[in-house]
Amino acid sequence: MVLTSLIFAFFCIITVFVYFIVPKKIQWLVLLVASLIFLFYNNLTISTVIQAISILVSSYIFGRLIDKYHDNKKSKIFLLSGITVILGFLIYLKYTNLFLITFNHILNVLNVNYQFSYVYRNSLIGISYYSLIMISYLIDIYRGTCKPQKNILKLALFMSYFPILNSGPFVRYNNMEEQLYKKNKFDYDRMCSGLVRVLWGVFKILVISQRLGMFVDTVYGDLNNFNGYYTIIAILFFPLQLYTNFSGSIDIIMGVSEIIGIELPENFNIPFFSKTITEFWRNWHITLGAWLKDYIFYPLLKSDFMQNLNKKCKKMFGKKTGKKIPLYLSMLIMWILIGIWHGGAYTFIIGTGLLQFIYIFLEDTLEPVADKVNKKLGINSEVFSYKLYQVIRTYILFSFSMIFFRAISIGNALQIIKNIFVYNPWILVDNTSLYKAGLDLQDFRVLILSLFVLFTVERLSKTGSVRKKLFKQNVIFRWVIIYLLIFSIVIFGCYGVGYDPAAFIYRQF
Amino acid sequence: MEKEEIYERLNNVFRDIFDDESITVNENTTSNDIEDWDSLEHINLVVAVENEFGIKFNMNEVTTMKNVGEMVDIILSRMN
Repeated sequence: MVLTSLIFAFFCIITVFVYFIVPKKIQWLVLLVASLIFLFYNNLTISTVIQAISILVSSYIFGRLIDKYHDNKKSKIFLLSGITVILGFLIYLKYTNLFLITFNHILNVLNVNYQFSYVYRNSLIGISYYSLIMISYLIDIYRGTCKPQKNILKLALFMSYFPILNSGPFVRYNNMEEQLYKKNKFDYDRMCSGLVRVLWGVFKILVISQRLGMFVDTVYGDLNNFNGYYTIIAILFFPLQLYTNFSGSIDIIMGVSEIIGIELPENFNIPFFSKTITEFWRNWHITLGAWLKDYIFYPLLKSDFMQNLNKKCKKMFGKKTGKKIPLYLSMLIMWILIGIWHGGAYTFIIGTGLLQFIYIFLEDTLEPVADKVNKKLGINSEVFSYKLYQVIRTYILFSFSMIFFRAISIGNALQIIKNIFVYNPWILVDNTSLYKAGLDLQDFRVLILSLFVLFTVERLSKTGSVRKKLFKQNVIFRWVIIYLLIFSIVIFGCYGVGYDPAAFIYRQF
Repeated sequence: MEKEEIYERLNNVFRDIFDDESITVNENTTSNDIEDWDSLEHINLVVAVENEFGIKFNMNEVTTMKNVGEMVDIILSRMN
């Protein structure tokens, strides 16, 4: 179910309606039924049912066993068994082809004349999310920070709560336990606030992201005809396209959840205002970062292996340099995992993994050098212009890494990078060329205006929730803003090929 | 073990980890008071404290302790 589709809107309206009219005791059951419908929508097969039930039942049983044998060595065995089952499904369903690609490469290198053919696995929506969420559930029980859920249906709701299946955020059992199963009263103000967030998300996706996507898709889809400045613009557009789509989806999800009365953790914090890649990742997909930090990065750093390495390196390279080595090694492992999580292909491992690691490594090691250079040249790094330079630099670095994320193969990515160097600046000024890549002059105007709105709102959100500020305004102003948002979605939204009222309406003018 | 003795030994651990002989911690000391105490150095600190006192913090304690006072409370509860 696409989040911006009418069917999802109907689905949410019916769910919310039923949720608030049934007896409060069974409200959570309504959410469970809705979640199951969402989970199996268009994908109800024996295989997908087995996947879901296996992950649920093993989380349920191992969770209770871990708790039962607390303070006993057995609990660790149960924890590892539970994680193995969940990871096993995840790897089998999402990463089989990654192994096959690797094997095929090795066979090629060894000159063996055999290639494995790739497989298609039918997995349920949200598997990358709920499998990690269930792993954290088991680890939290093991660490003693939460108690296992005794009702398997309630656990099923935690695992499949429909708003988070599409694109997160990652939730923790501790934060959800009370909220999911509590008796919830309808709250009009909360509904209005949630609806505005949904609208804002729809605006981001339909007006900005889809529009940027038309340009990016055209350029990435025809590398022979579109190169040079087309490529540069597409590369710079893509992070914005991704961000407005991803954070827009999160806005819709959080808005719907807010209407229901369940608060989810924020996943973005105006990432494009970040001055370094390190800071960027603290503000982008926050809950994934937090998950990895708590369940992989910290335990890894704290592990005996890393601590022994720490000691050895300190002896060999001195205290300052020595302690950095286990740190960088742990970071490298974590970034490769982040890359793998994003998708079972090497383009993701490079784009959202290795390149990010290299950036952060360079930032960390070159920072003292940069400080010295700035001091020598008398450059003030505390002024607006310098911060602007840092923000732009971060954006460009991230855009470059996203070439790999967006490309269909490494060869494709390299071709795109090669295309950057074709010299054709005249396309920017000859008044026709630029409009051949999927967007016309009108589209560019809408884009510039809507990006201006986006960044203004984001800037405002630095000093607190924009929606709260809006709801403090007088009723007329408030409704003018809300109507403007609705009309701009209706008029300027891109609804895809074959159904494009926007094109019809605003091209009249 | 008395609290004073724990603070005494903690001072040595902190001085060693952060390379600063002038550090003296008290129950209200937080990561804001020590320049190099970031989330990564925190792990090294925790492990050094574990080794000093022969105890283990669980991961939840590692990520939630807010100041040195809370750290000392955990150490005390483990040692008694």
